[in-house]
Amino acid sequence: MFVLALRSIRQRPGRFLATLLSAFLGAAIIMTFNSMHDTAGQPGVDPVSSDTLGTAAGVVGGYGTLLVFFAVASTLTVNVRQRAAELELLRCSGATPAQIKRMVVGEAVAVALVGAALAIGPAMLGGRVLLDMFQDGGQVARSVEYSFGPIALVSGVNITLLAAAGAAFLAVRRVTRRRKERAGARRFLAYGALAAGATGVCSTFLFSATDEMLMAPPAQGAIMLSVGFALLAPRLLKGLLDRLVLSGASGWLAVRNLRQRAGELAGILVSLIMFTAVSTATLTMQAVESDAVAASGLVKSVDAKNLETLNLTVVGIIAVFVCVMLVNSLYAATTYRSREFGQQRLAGATPRQVLGVVGAEGAILTVAGVFFGTMAALAGVVPFTVVRTDGVLPDQFLGTWLAMVSVTAAATLGTSLVTARRVLRTPAVRAVAPAA
Amino acid sequence: MFRNGARRDHDSGPAPEALRLVKVTKSYGTADSAVTALDGVTLGLARGTFTAVMGPSGSGKSTLLQCAAGLDRPDSGIVRVDGTELTGGGEAELTKFRRGRIGFVFQQYNLLETLTVAQNTVLPLKLAGRRVDRRRAREILTAVGLGDRLGHRPDQLSGGQRQRVAIARALVTEPRVIFADEPTGALDTRSAREVLRLLQEAVRVHGRTVVMVTHDPVAASYADSVLFLADGRLAGRMDAPTADAVAERLAHLGDDTMAGV
Repeated sequence: MFVLALRSIRQRPGRFLATLLSAFLGAAIIMTFNSMHDTAGQPGVDPVSSDTLGTAAGVVGGYGTLLVFFAVASTLTVNVRQRAAELELLRCSGATPAQIKRMVVGEAVAVALVGAALAIGPAMLGGRVLLDMFQDGGQVARSVEYSFGPIALVSGVNITLLAAAGAAFLAVRRVTRRRKERAGARRFLAYGALAAGATGVCSTFLFSATDEMLMAPPAQGAIMLSVGFALLAPRLLKGLLDRLVLSGASGWLAVRNLRQRAGELAGILVSLIMFTAVSTATLTMQAVESDAVAASGLVKSVDAKNLETLNLTVVGIIAVFVCVMLVNSLYAATTYRSREFGQQRLAGATPRQVLGVVGAEGAILTVAGVFFGTMAALAGVVPFTVVRTDGVLPDQFLGTWLAMVSVTAAATLGTSLVTARRVLRTPAVRAVAPAA
Repeated sequence: MFRNGARRDHDSGPAPEALRLVKVTKSYGTADSAVTALDGVTLGLARGTFTAVMGPSGSGKSTLLQCAAGLDRPDSGIVRVDGTELTGGGEAELTKFRRGRIGFVFQQYNLLETLTVAQNTVLPLKLAGRRVDRRRAREILTAVGLGDRLGHRPDQLSGGQRQRVAIARALVTEPRVIFADEPTGALDTRSAREVLRLLQEAVRVHGRTVVMVTHDPVAASYADSVLFLADGRLAGRMDAPTADAVAERLAHLGDDTMAGV
């Protein structure tokens, strides 16, 4: 089966591009930060430098592992779903479910291996830049030399491979098995996350303005709230759509499409909500904190600086990954609709009307995602600002928010419209023809 | 963009000839590997007729339908629907040309899964920006036997029921010509009979013109006349066809190739 897997990759390298990209980015990030362990482990590194490097590697390394897992799982789920016909054919030709599983996992591992190998060079460069950043900030002594050693290499390759194999296993299981809706468990988790988020946000008020840990509860609270909203996304979207009336044939069709496909689109909404919430909340709070420190005339401690670097790095990583997932799943979802677009065109829709439908759907999704993401972000930002400064809503919020919303809107609308345009190049009659 | 025939300048009613093809040629592929799907086809169909187009696989049936219905452009020749000539232009222009003039019924139904029966039926009106007369849509759906299925989605219907929705959708815009591409190809014999009767009714009761591509002699026997196609050329015509006569003729198609009709 592994030979079949390799052949399958060679025939259609394009389909694995998203998986390769996720594996590459993930491996690069993990190796970059874990090379700090290697650097800190060298003889003659002072304890403060070693501490800074160790913390950075630990925190971001952990986040990185989770993100690789989610990103690879997301791209592979899409990949496997697109190939449902091929997998069905294999099953009809006598492949057992275990063989199909081995093939998909084999493909994923092969792609992840290539991704990890490609990531070594960029990770070495990235690690050097990161060390420079720490040294420029005075968090690490100038004398420390960069080292890319066994910890970075082994952890990077292993984590990427394990994440890819695990994600592939879950993806293929989800497709080969008829999924049972477990709405109850989902709702329980959602309310749990919302409760945890609310607790986190409220506990901000227990801290005083100068506490080092002040940023942690509202940031985590905002993240938990966004997870809760994300889990409830399909129901929230349905509730919104039942009240929404759009004029014009395209809008009419878009609302009806979304109502029917709310469940499938939940994944995209999850990305939108979490991206908006995490990035807006963290960046705004960091800006408020930096300004407050500057205003008080104090010099930032090494810990505070580390926290800032980490905050920005983590947000950057999350943003890049969520963008990759968003673009990938939107691209796949739109490509998959070729037949539906063909049917719309045969029913009398001009290409512009089809694009109008896609655009309206993207706009509704973006607005819904941004709305719930903003709610979660505000829930974190406002308590933090109230405790840290005298204001309620910081000046930095609007700018950060606008920047994040533009990124979100550009990624969502750009991907779906550009993909739909490409899909529309196939003549309508051929698009609706049953796959040969 | 679209040139009106001379007659239409004086009379805004439907033209007596619903469909006219003059020396229509279409080939696929390039240079050496080009395949001629239509080789100078000329034909005319009067308003209010039910015509079946028959021929073996690869005879150019589907290409003929696509060129005549404005889904594809012929390489050369003239296509005139309801007296208006179909000329160049992009997909948007072709779509606007088809709206209101042409209705479709396909083998694979091509209903939108996300819309209900009633919504699918009025979709062409919505897209054309025309007034949606829900009562009329319900009347048509009742006439095709789906008056109690308005809120169902396509995946809750049988193949025959889906095809009847497709026929209702084709009727609702009151097109001059309805093109049906193997409309009974995926149906059992009973559902197929119902669908063919509805197409007959569209002609006899509603005065539409129906062109149906099929390879089933029984389906063809429901039409007023049958046009035979072989190797991209017209190869004969039969009026008042019976299934046996059509099958007999099909078996000997290509023995004697006739030009024009």
